[in-house]
Amino acid sequence: MFRYFIRRVLYMIPIILGVMVITFVLFNMLQKPETVARRLLGPKASQQAVANWIKQRGYDKPLFLNTQPGQRLLDSQFVNYMVSLATFNFGVSDATGQPVIDRFKEGAIPSLSITVPAFFLGLALAISLSLFFVYVRETSIDFAGTIFAVALMSIPVMVYVIFGQWLFAVLLKYFPAYGFSLQGPDMVRFLALPVAILIFGGLGSDIRLFRAIFLEEIRNDYVRTAYAKGASPGAVLLCHVLKNGMINIITLTVASLPMLILGSLVLETFFGIPGLGNMTLDAIHNSDFAVIRATTYVGTLLYLVGLLLTDLCYAWVDPRIKLQ
Amino acid sequence: MFLQKAPTEGKPEVRAGHGAYFPFKPWRVMRLTKALILYIPALIGLGLLTGCDNNPHTPALRKKRADGSPWIVTYRAFPQDPRSLDPQFAYDEISHAVLSNIYDTFLTYDPLSEEYHLIPMIGAELPKYEPQPDGTVAVTCKIKPGLYFHDDACFPGGKGREITSRDFIYAFQRMSDPKVECPIASTLQDYLIGFEDAYNNAEKAGVFNYDAPFKPVEAVDRYTFRINLKKAYPQIKYWLAFWFTAPVAREAVEYYNGKIIDGIRHPLFRFHPVGTGAFSLHDWKRGELIRLVRNDNYHTLRFPAGGWNVDVNSYLAPLANSQLPTLDEVQLIIIPESIPAWILFKQGWTDSSGVGKDIFNSVITASQELTLEFEKRGVQLIKDLDLDTWYLMFNMKDPVLGGNVKLRQAMVLAFNADTYNEIFGNNILHMTDQLLPPRMFGYEASFKNPWRETNLEKARKLIAEAGYPNGVDPKTGKPLEIVLDTEAGSSTERQSAEYDRSQFEALGIRVRIEENLFTQMLEKQMKGRYQLVSAGWSADYPDPENFFALFYGPNIVPVGHNQSMYQNAEFDHLFEKMATMEDTPERADIIRRMNKILLTDDCVIGPIFNRVSYRLRQPWTPYFIKNAIVGQFGGLRYGVIDTALRKEKQAEWNRKKYWPLLTMIIIFGIVLGYGIHKRRQANV
Repeated sequence: MFRYFIRRVLYMIPIILGVMVITFVLFNMLQKPETVARRLLGPKASQQAVANWIKQRGYDKPLFLNTQPGQRLLDSQFVNYMVSLATFNFGVSDATGQPVIDRFKEGAIPSLSITVPAFFLGLALAISLSLFFVYVRETSIDFAGTIFAVALMSIPVMVYVIFGQWLFAVLLKYFPAYGFSLQGPDMVRFLALPVAILIFGGLGSDIRLFRAIFLEEIRNDYVRTAYAKGASPGAVLLCHVLKNGMINIITLTVASLPMLILGSLVLETFFGIPGLGNMTLDAIHNSDFAVIRATTYVGTLLYLVGLLLTDLCYAWVDPRIKLQ
Repeated sequence: MFLQKAPTEGKPEVRAGHGAYFPFKPWRVMRLTKALILYIPALIGLGLLTGCDNNPHTPALRKKRADGSPWIVTYRAFPQDPRSLDPQFAYDEISHAVLSNIYDTFLTYDPLSEEYHLIPMIGAELPKYEPQPDGTVAVTCKIKPGLYFHDDACFPGGKGREITSRDFIYAFQRMSDPKVECPIASTLQDYLIGFEDAYNNAEKAGVFNYDAPFKPVEAVDRYTFRINLKKAYPQIKYWLAFWFTAPVAREAVEYYNGKIIDGIRHPLFRFHPVGTGAFSLHDWKRGELIRLVRNDNYHTLRFPAGGWNVDVNSYLAPLANSQLPTLDEVQLIIIPESIPAWILFKQGWTDSSGVGKDIFNSVITASQELTLEFEKRGVQLIKDLDLDTWYLMFNMKDPVLGGNVKLRQAMVLAFNADTYNEIFGNNILHMTDQLLPPRMFGYEASFKNPWRETNLEKARKLIAEAGYPNGVDPKTGKPLEIVLDTEAGSSTERQSAEYDRSQFEALGIRVRIEENLFTQMLEKQMKGRYQLVSAGWSADYPDPENFFALFYGPNIVPVGHNQSMYQNAEFDHLFEKMATMEDTPERADIIRRMNKILLTDDCVIGPIFNRVSYRLRQPWTPYFIKNAIVGQFGGLRYGVIDTALRKEKQAEWNRKKYWPLLTMIIIFGIVLGYGIHKRRQANV
């Protein structure tokens, strides 16, 4: 197990390197530092101000290798950028000059405040509904449930956001259309609508997936044995099918756990939640490469950690699986 | 033990697993899941709906002032976070809108004048210009004694100290410090004695010596400083009304350095401004809220004594000559998307709003007034003429367009600007004959540009005289092809380019539209690699020099901002003369001549217009500011709110509706009950 873990961690290095090379190349192809400087300093900024901005941030150095006489070969944009990321020194935002790490610290809690409840409540709701549809499988209720789930899957998140805001904030006036607070009861008022939208956004696909997992389980011999022993359908579903189905569900959902910290781009922007999703979108609008590269790096890292956790979970919850 | 029972004939059965059968009993399922699916969410939902409302506000800092009167808060939607609140660095409108309430300047614009009249702010009087025998000019500026910086931890005992001439000098020193990255440093280098040397010395040394003598600006005494100009530069007065020259306390810059001192992390100065204005920054939650609070020690300006319209007199008369600001707290809510910002304004949760194109037709009628719905609500419509000019620009170095004035004139003459205004400007653009926007010195309502009218017949004659009869290039026998570069940022930009093409193609020429990313577009303009492009300029200050400099020969890109690559010896000579003159009739004559050369004789730019900003204000915000610059920046210090009316209207506009939800619950209950009933009947 330990050797497997180490090997997987080592596999991460070339993947991260590859992602960061692609990010670096793409950004430098699309945005020249001069253009970014002009965008940030304003079109009226003088040539001198632009040159100064570029120099201060080290964007005047060669891209990959510094072959200029009297310079260190590795004193290049790419090497400096990779070294800073490897040491978790994300530097300062190109747009605001604020340390990027501070932005991460400020944004993590608001992002988690919507993604964590949405994840767990959504999971509970999806499991409950999929169990229900499994119980009534091959009936008109199950058929209606399938249509409902497919419909939920087909609607883009943006539609949920706009419709949710219109219905609950504009028409019924139950929740604020915009704003954020983590103080006392205000928290529930501000988070209820975005959390509900986030749950509905992912509910359709989860119901379909979990229903398939539970259907798989219900056809197994141990279920028939349980029935033969006189267990009620409820007991079979909750004690046997759910328990065994959860092995697959845990391994599938654990991969997305680390990603919860990155928040939701659309939802955070539309509801004014100052999380990491909002920050990323802001950085894209401002061509803030320092923030974009840090977010990409952290995102890649979390995704790989999620995949690793999934594999470890397989071995942990299913004794038949041995990691080698 | 139901599996032991034989399946009853005719009863529904459900297959469970491979070959296992058990009867389907939905009420059992309901028992299992109803607590999870129905009761718990229903209880939570009911609790939420009865306890919640749609008020999006962060609670105010206080409910009452020290004297027991209500604590007045204004709520404004703000499109994004400011990039920086360092007055010597920030150069964008968003940052300006915040900075102008935190920092005061030596001069400011008169809020009751539509024209751009300057009045002293921190200054005790207007600056005095003293030409010296060697051609240099000394500008003496006296400041009011007894004005203080905001109370802040950077000062001893946390009490703001008095503003002195040293603080203005420090602001100029910061502008010449390369590390501050002041965007107007290169402009000031051309006019201030020793500014360039100070900049270059700091660049060489890697650090700016703030203790060394500073030639560009010197202290005369505690309350007087002198700006040393290389030559006459009347525009310096406008820079003194600009936040770049706002006084800054050295203690604040050194204290807020981003370092950890005694275990406390000091934020950077650009995120923790310490100013002298009517409000101080209380907190700034990025992407969420900027909160300003009243500076109780503010004595720089007072509420105007009068001069407003009669309809707001009952609100404003009691405030005449009173201490500013009238508001206690300002909450700038960061809302990047236009839809939620508009929802909050309609619900009465914000006190003002812009009128974006998405909502324009639902708010403004064809006669440019408010629709009945908003008129009934008592909403006020404010129309401000922006200090900018927009046009189609020819590349004067282009071999086809640059050397053929008749071709340019024909193209401008063929363009129907009024229809453009109708389609793309909601008919609110101010179509004009000249470069300068109205209300500025040099603008002449009587100036006529012969190419401003739309006359296709005349345009066809001109294009024939230009050597392209019916738009055909005689060398190739094919229609002349012109490339129109446009930024493919939105569908409106594409549609606008299509409209431009249709206008020019009426002459028989062919126009190829080249769509560019913002970056490509910028690069083409900076390098003069285009034929025809849509361009514009938002002025830094209301002086003709700021607009005509765009066509001054030595300013050709990349050195300056002359992107048209225009060069005309007479125009350049007139510009040099006009730029350093006071506003006299002679200056007005020169501007008229420059307009004629640029627009009539050489036809460097095409149809010209100025933008007009439409803003909405709620009925509880009596408004009197006539100056567009003060209205958009710094107007919060004059803000007045009728809190009782706001509370009443907010309650009226935000009554919760329970009937749709109750109806849904009843329908759902009936359907569910009926389903269960039917199932029970089937299983009996």
